[in-house]
Amino acid sequence: MSSQAQYGVQKSMTGVKKTGSQMSYLCAACAKPTEIKPKEPIRCHDCGHRILYKKRTPRMVQFEAR
Amino acid sequence: MEVDSGYLQHQRLPNDAKLEDVEALLGLSGTSLDKQSLTQPIPTAEDKWQLLPAFLRVKGLVKQHIDSFNYFIEVDLKKIVKANELVTSDIDPGFYLKYTGIRVQMPERVDPDAANRSITPHECRLRDMTYAAPIAVDIEYTRGKHRVIRKSVVIGRMPIMLRSARCVLTGRNEAEMAEMKECPLDPGGYFVVRGTERVILVQEQITKNRIIVQVEKGTMVASVTSTTHERKSMTYVTFKNDRLYLKHNMISEEVPLVVAMRAMGMTSDKEIAQLIAGVDPLYLEMLAPTLEEGASSKLFTQRAALDFIGAKTKAGARRFGAPKRQPHEDALDALANVVLCHVPVNGADFRGKCVYIAMMARRVLQAVGRKEMADDKDYLGNKRLELAGQLIALLFEDLFKRFNSDLKINIDKVLKKPNLAQAFDAYNQLMCHGDLITQGLTRAISTGNWSLKRFKMDRAGVTHILSRLSYISALGMMTRISSQFEKTRKVSGPRALQPSQWGMLCPADTPEGELCGLVKNLALMTHITTDDEEEPIRRAAFALGVEDAALITGAELHAQGTHIVFMNGLILGIIRSAQRFVRQFRVLRRSGRIPAFVSIYIDDHRRTVNISADGGRICRPLIIVEKGQSRVRDEHIQKLMAGKLQFDDFLRLGLVEYLDVNEENDCMIAIYPNEIKPYTTHLEIEPFTLLGAVAGLIPYPHHNQSPRNTYQSAMGKQAIGAIAYNQLNRIDTLLYLMVYPQQPMVKTKTIELINFDKLPAGQNGSVFVMSYSGYDIEDALVINKSSLDRGFGRCQVMRKFTAIVRKYANNTHDRIIGPPRQVDGTIPERFALLDDDGMAAPGTRLENGQVYLNKQSPVDGGNDINAGIGVGGAGAAAVEYRPTPLTFKYPDHGYVDKVMITTSESDQTLIKFLLRQTRRPELGDKFSSRHGQKGVCGIIVQQEDMPFTDRGIYPDIIMNPHGFPSRMTVGKLMEFVASKAGAVKGELQYGTCFGGSKMEDMCRILVENGFSYTGKDYVTSGITGEPVGAYIFNGCTYYQRLKHMVADKMHARARGPRAVLTRQPTEGRSRDGGLRLGEMEKDCLIGYGASMLLLERLMVSSDVFEVHVCEMCGYIGYKGWCQMCRSSKSMVPIKIPYACKLLFQELQAMNIMPRLVMEDI
Repeated sequence: MSSQAQYGVQKSMTGVKKTGSQMSYLCAACAKPTEIKPKEPIRCHDCGHRILYKKRTPRMVQFEAR
Repeated sequence: MEVDSGYLQHQRLPNDAKLEDVEALLGLSGTSLDKQSLTQPIPTAEDKWQLLPAFLRVKGLVKQHIDSFNYFIEVDLKKIVKANELVTSDIDPGFYLKYTGIRVQMPERVDPDAANRSITPHECRLRDMTYAAPIAVDIEYTRGKHRVIRKSVVIGRMPIMLRSARCVLTGRNEAEMAEMKECPLDPGGYFVVRGTERVILVQEQITKNRIIVQVEKGTMVASVTSTTHERKSMTYVTFKNDRLYLKHNMISEEVPLVVAMRAMGMTSDKEIAQLIAGVDPLYLEMLAPTLEEGASSKLFTQRAALDFIGAKTKAGARRFGAPKRQPHEDALDALANVVLCHVPVNGADFRGKCVYIAMMARRVLQAVGRKEMADDKDYLGNKRLELAGQLIALLFEDLFKRFNSDLKINIDKVLKKPNLAQAFDAYNQLMCHGDLITQGLTRAISTGNWSLKRFKMDRAGVTHILSRLSYISALGMMTRISSQFEKTRKVSGPRALQPSQWGMLCPADTPEGELCGLVKNLALMTHITTDDEEEPIRRAAFALGVEDAALITGAELHAQGTHIVFMNGLILGIIRSAQRFVRQFRVLRRSGRIPAFVSIYIDDHRRTVNISADGGRICRPLIIVEKGQSRVRDEHIQKLMAGKLQFDDFLRLGLVEYLDVNEENDCMIAIYPNEIKPYTTHLEIEPFTLLGAVAGLIPYPHHNQSPRNTYQSAMGKQAIGAIAYNQLNRIDTLLYLMVYPQQPMVKTKTIELINFDKLPAGQNGSVFVMSYSGYDIEDALVINKSSLDRGFGRCQVMRKFTAIVRKYANNTHDRIIGPPRQVDGTIPERFALLDDDGMAAPGTRLENGQVYLNKQSPVDGGNDINAGIGVGGAGAAAVEYRPTPLTFKYPDHGYVDKVMITTSESDQTLIKFLLRQTRRPELGDKFSSRHGQKGVCGIIVQQEDMPFTDRGIYPDIIMNPHGFPSRMTVGKLMEFVASKAGAVKGELQYGTCFGGSKMEDMCRILVENGFSYTGKDYVTSGITGEPVGAYIFNGCTYYQRLKHMVADKMHARARGPRAVLTRQPTEGRSRDGGLRLGEMEKDCLIGYGASMLLLERLMVSSDVFEVHVCEMCGYIGYKGWCQMCRSSKSMVPIKIPYACKLLFQELQAMNIMPRLVMEDI
């Protein structure tokens, strides 16, 4: 299936599509923030590592200490 | 028999001079025997257990997997390629392709545009990839008239075992490991295939190429399973009606033995008789009927015998186009290549095979009427363990052969074309097949299905997912041995504990239930051998006085005072002074001239000397004792502890040697130094090594009733604790982590050796043994609420959820979009946590029903590959999407721990969510101590209401004393006292098997610190404030929290989903299913006569359905209309189960007509 699908499809299609601005992720190898546009290959701009983590939420998180 | 009685003949004169020479040779003569001290009693090395950690650094536990895999990569792989090195063409006789070398490189990523080619196992786990390395071959082939040599052509990728010679982790220090996000304590020995960790379990099998004599269906049978690289076959010699017969699958019926021998060219009766019976009149008499049958068969020449056998030979699959053969040719071929195929036949010289068959016959005759001469199939010396390397070698050989035959077919196809535009280059063909070997290997490992046509092998479940429930469960899995016996058989033999398992297999660690005794575990010090080169050993044997079997007649073979020497099950020759031969052989081995894992032993019953150098034997190291003194002395141990000596040096110095099960049986092994007698040959390194890694966690196991240790061995694998140093970097499907794990107060040596103290699973709790509240019956525990507040037993559950952004054939693909907005611009509650990229960020709190990944998939064209291509642009324009989000489905809240975005090997976007829940113990959660004493939490009590001692000590757990009398877990009582003493004094105590801290010392510590030596204390009731009417036994015990938690199991349903077909409630908690009123419950209600209750449970609450039945025809019709009768006269509504209606319709479909007959009640 995948081999057929590759014809005519850009190799770098990730399908991550967003409404607003591009999102910033953290590289698993060098821990530098990497901005990724939709349909861009998932790869650290700095070191080329292919695993990215999402940043921690900026919202306040309240824990119930129990 | 020269010397009859027992052990005396096993005394071996130590050959001091020789050993010292060896030591001098190695430049270590200073360490050798002190002449003076020989006369005095020498204090044997007290810290000889220090050898154990030294051993575990080089061998043991998981090393057998790694050694076996390394052996495959370094040796076996080359042998396989060597055996299949040439590819030729049927079309062009001038063409050839030859493999001149093969090697497996270091693991590499497939990604072509990566700067850093090297890949770590951790990245493979995260990205769902295979940790594999390219297999490179050197080839030499003809292109037109030229000979071409190419180096390092990649023909496939080999999954690499972690920590093997080709793994990037091997030889790295802790800092480098941390750099690669890998745990330095992780044992390795498994594979990472498509992101999952898979282990190839050790398989236990009956030994191959050896004669096994057994009673089968009342007749004595000698059987041999011959295996060579080409084939596998079974040959039998049976004793029926006082006559010997040869039986083999290729030959349709049993052949008289004499006829078989004649067919192999041994036409003289006297020669046959001598080979089998020697000159012993007893055996000759037993042989007489066999010889008589041979004489009466009138088949006196080899040709006649061959014709006779040929008529019965099943002609094997003949190669296409080969001419039809005469019967005698068939027979000759079968006898030469199939029957006993492991015995080599040189040209037409069958003598070796004749002697072998004669040996089998002799063994049968020996065993007739003397049961003790028959072999025991369950004896560990008759078993071989098959490891990862061997299994992969089988697979690789099969794939490589297929690869070559495919290559040949394709080459032929090209060469067949009349005139090629350019000279044909086989290299291009070679590259086309890149996937066959890669796919074959990864598929087999990831599914566990080993199917090899050549050996008629079709095994499922060879590999298992490495259980990462706890560090111990992972380690326990690596030492597990699965047996090939079918579990349905009623015989208890294979399941029973064999005395020969001592020190080799753990006596405690086996599952309960149907696999009891069939799944075993290795003991701490066992090692499994790999094949050793035979030729040097054979030469050494001949040099030591073995006479070649080919030069000897039967009379000499069985002469008094001679022993027959076997080498890996084949007859090597005879030796007239077996004792001396064996002694000298061992001296050579101890000096390192013969590989350490070659075993030799004398079988006095059969008068044979057996040398084994094959792989898969279980062995363990023992200290050598000479002249009643241990060879290992204090000075050696001191050097060991100072790091000047390694375990292998001990081996080289002849202080320690490996014994396999058979040789162990030929030795006198003292367990403690004070038990050494003049005839002692070996000394145990440490007796507690007879337990395995998992049973080694139990403190004072030698004081427990044995099944309790077995129960703990099963439960220790379910304990929640720390898993690995990289546990927070891992994204596993399910991960249980304890929040504050502690190492046990009472440790064992094993705990330190396997690093359980660094990755513990449990906590030390203060325990009172008393009755409290009545919520503690049936092993339930009373738990202190304040302890829970302080974090006792708290654990975290991490769960992985994966989403793949798929691409479909019609140019459409999944998409992940930000949260939808309502008309007023607000975001609906359930999408509130999403960021603009459609994912919830780490740290977000999730409630039931909330979306954390807003994925959408195209409605159309998804799976239908054909739909796409033609339509083409459909994807671009107006693709309709349906929501396929990931929603949080647990009743309790959780948090997003980690969100990982990456691409998989097939270049698809892969998103992994790690969700976390923190759980404090609640009512019904399961706990266990380390003595098979499990219990659930029965009540959680406020600390104010708990009893306390006059020192203000409160319990974390109150345990009911009824748990002790019937279970007889004295070890637990001892753990109580020892850890109480340890806690009071501020030091850790030891509960090592057959040793550990002495109770007397523990009691003394207690008394010194003002406690009672009994471990009992005065206690005040927390409820009444009065003294409790007895002194309460209290102390400290290591408690494990087990993975069975109420939160994962609680389930109730009033109304809910129903199955589509039957309209009955669904089954199982995961589908919010109903609670079944089963057959037995149904019977209760019938017996009681509660018919309306039955009706309600089975129909009304399940799949009630109203149908309209026609009273005239009895058919189901419409409401007010019977289509059958074409009338609306007599339709009656009735309620029946939907399943019943379904049955009627299915019957109708089969042309059976069910009619409903209505009646008033």
